[in-house]
Amino acid sequence: MKSTWKIALLATVMGILTLFYLGLGVDTRYIPSPLLDKPAFPFSAEGLDGKGPVVLEAKPGKWVLVNFWGSWCVSCVAEHPYLMELARKTRDRSDFAMIGVDFRDTREGGLRFLSRHGDPGYRHAFDPEQRIAIDWGVYGAPESFLVDPQGTIRLKRAGPLYPGWFEQEAMPLIQGMPP
Amino acid sequence: MWIEIAHFATIAALLVALTQIAAPLVGITLGRPVWIRVGRQAAFTSAALLTLACAGLILSFLKHDFSVAYVADHASLDLPIFYLATAMWGGHEGSLLLWAWFLSLFIAFAAWRHWRTHPLSIPYVLAILGTVLAGFLLLVIFLSSPFERMLPPPPDGRDLNPLLQDPGMVFHPPFLYMGYVGFGIPYAFAMAALLTGRVEEEWILATRRWTLFSWAMLTTGIVFGAYWAYYELGWGGYWAWDPVENASFMPWLTATAFLHSVMVQERRQLFKTWNLFLITTTFALSLLGTFLVRSGVLSSVHAFANDPGRGVYILVFMAVLLLFSFGLLVAKADSLKVEARLESPLSRESAFLFNNLFLLVATATVLLGTLYPLAIETLTEAKVSVGSPYYNKVFIPIMLGLLLLMGVGPVIPWRRVDRTRLLRALLVPTLAGIGATALALGMGIAHPYGVATAALIGFVAVSHGRDFIAALRARTGRSGDSILLAPFRLIGRNKRRYGGFVVHVGILVMAAGFIGSGLFQEEQDLLMKVGDSTTLGRWRLTFTGIGQVSRHNWDAVEASFVVEGPGGQLLLKPQKRQYHRNDMPTTEAAIHSTWREDLYIVLGDRVDDRWAIRCYRNPLIVWIWWGAGLMALGVVVSLGQGRGLKRRDS
Repeated sequence: MKSTWKIALLATVMGILTLFYLGLGVDTRYIPSPLLDKPAFPFSAEGLDGKGPVVLEAKPGKWVLVNFWGSWCVSCVAEHPYLMELARKTRDRSDFAMIGVDFRDTREGGLRFLSRHGDPGYRHAFDPEQRIAIDWGVYGAPESFLVDPQGTIRLKRAGPLYPGWFEQEAMPLIQGMPP
Repeated sequence: MWIEIAHFATIAALLVALTQIAAPLVGITLGRPVWIRVGRQAAFTSAALLTLACAGLILSFLKHDFSVAYVADHASLDLPIFYLATAMWGGHEGSLLLWAWFLSLFIAFAAWRHWRTHPLSIPYVLAILGTVLAGFLLLVIFLSSPFERMLPPPPDGRDLNPLLQDPGMVFHPPFLYMGYVGFGIPYAFAMAALLTGRVEEEWILATRRWTLFSWAMLTTGIVFGAYWAYYELGWGGYWAWDPVENASFMPWLTATAFLHSVMVQERRQLFKTWNLFLITTTFALSLLGTFLVRSGVLSSVHAFANDPGRGVYILVFMAVLLLFSFGLLVAKADSLKVEARLESPLSRESAFLFNNLFLLVATATVLLGTLYPLAIETLTEAKVSVGSPYYNKVFIPIMLGLLLLMGVGPVIPWRRVDRTRLLRALLVPTLAGIGATALALGMGIAHPYGVATAALIGFVAVSHGRDFIAALRARTGRSGDSILLAPFRLIGRNKRRYGGFVVHVGILVMAAGFIGSGLFQEEQDLLMKVGDSTTLGRWRLTFTGIGQVSRHNWDAVEASFVVEGPGGQLLLKPQKRQYHRNDMPTTEAAIHSTWREDLYIVLGDRVDDRWAIRCYRNPLIVWIWWGAGLMALGVVVSLGQGRGLKRRDS
């Protein structure tokens, strides 16, 4: 065997092993959204509470977290305490607001979910036919989007938000772009 | 109780496996054969202990012992007994134990079979395989134990994943593992040959049957997986180039190359280093397959376990084994003397060389397609996926090249052949190929791959057939055998060669199936009300009703279709099943198989008063399963031959 072949063989083996080593830390479930850094679809939809429309539009100086959920979704129950906490913590911030979108759901189901697990206080759009969810490319629940004051989607997370998400992922963006 | 017995048996098997590594090596160093004998006894003991461990785990399943976490996760009270017994390998932990059990059985068998015949190799074989076994047992005991208790026990288990409650999936893992593990024996003999410096043909002759057996198991295992995907997943196909399907396919490709190239070393003493490289790569890829499935490094439907801790361990284990094997190969390669050379590019050995090149390029293609997304994601954070367009573009031409070589190989003699004689031998097969092309065009096949495959099927079939008939003529002329008996006597005389022929015919049948189902599948996606009809190919489907059915662990919505076809009327009933202990509904496609085509109906969601129905016409799909059957038969014939074929050219 020529020495070039020997080196090539060992280099290939080492290369594949290194790749696996690096690959072990990669979260294979993380999928970036093609909507990232694209303008968000504005919507104006009937509120889950029945008290007039819930509107998403670009407002100067205001970041909006849009959270898609449904009463049929088990992970949403797990996520809910953090949403409650986040809403309480950010109630007084002028640069941050939250909107829920209850999709593929019945009104009774959605309201029962809120009365059972607690009402975080912000408003929810009611989207039984998934019009908003389809526009936003939502394929599971929960999914959350962070929209900046210009109306651009800056963050997307498929799956529940975790405690500390706001400080770790949202704050750097919000502070990096002062109102 | 049983689970503790199983647990202790596994721990004892680990200690015995460590003895199996150490004792033979001590024996060699001290020159004391009695120590090597200890290693042999260790191999028998660990096989017995692991048999006990598997029995203990299966008994825990049969007794519905839900205090065992693994049982509670993979069984329930209403799981049928057949799936209850086989749920042992329904999850990550149990299937690793199954892997280790197969390995220990194979080691014990090898220690018994090769003890007298290969006294010099056996200590190294025992030590190397002991290391592999110990590596797997460490994983089973410390990182993914199926023996953990869960107290207090739940009243009922979470049931086996409904998708796995299918005969295809029951047999898929054991066959695949027997294939993976089986290649460990030739691999260990190859390493022993390098360590003892006896890299002549002996290790190849000794392990020929192991190689054939493992290859047959791997082939069957892969086909069972494809069959399961076709019948159970309800998407009308059988192969998706999923990373884990690829993981089982790569060792198959290199093993196929190995099967062919060992013949060259036997007959012509060529390709010595190459064969060592091939078997090492095959076993390495088998381990890689296990790694890919079990570490969750690639996202795929198969990656049940997303546990980096386990991944790190498997990776370290694999790194040790790979670096040792390939390092040894590189270090010792120069001591291999090659006396012979390729005499002519027109010879059987060079046909085998090309066969090997094609198969290796095919392996590299699959490896690249499998690792590319991981590399891109790791290095750049972008997401890519490599799917069938890539594989179809690169892979099919390679396979067509292999088909061509398959037609040439058996008719071209060893050493060298005169060009005009070769052309004359290939004339009739070529004419048959042209005839098949015309026939394909006449049947309306327009796709170049379809036409090329048809041509090559004609070419290969006739080249094999002519060779067989010529041999038959020579035999009947010489021995006066009757026409009826002669073919069997002929096959019996050279089981290895004609077993190979049968495998080749199986591949032709399969190739026809691939072309039929790949190029001519028809699909309809409809919303139907009860009473609606549709026409698909020769079939007229009428949706006649929808109802409920139940079995002990599932309920289903069942649609009824009256199908009018060439053979009269039939009733097909696709289902959407809801297993009691699982949220996810599964589809049970209704399939009507004929030799020409399958009719395949899938029931989807309800939309108001209509139902989403998908139906497929899959031409020639059963040819794939029949082809696989022929391949298995061919290997059985081939296995019948002992090692008596080592003829030297005068």
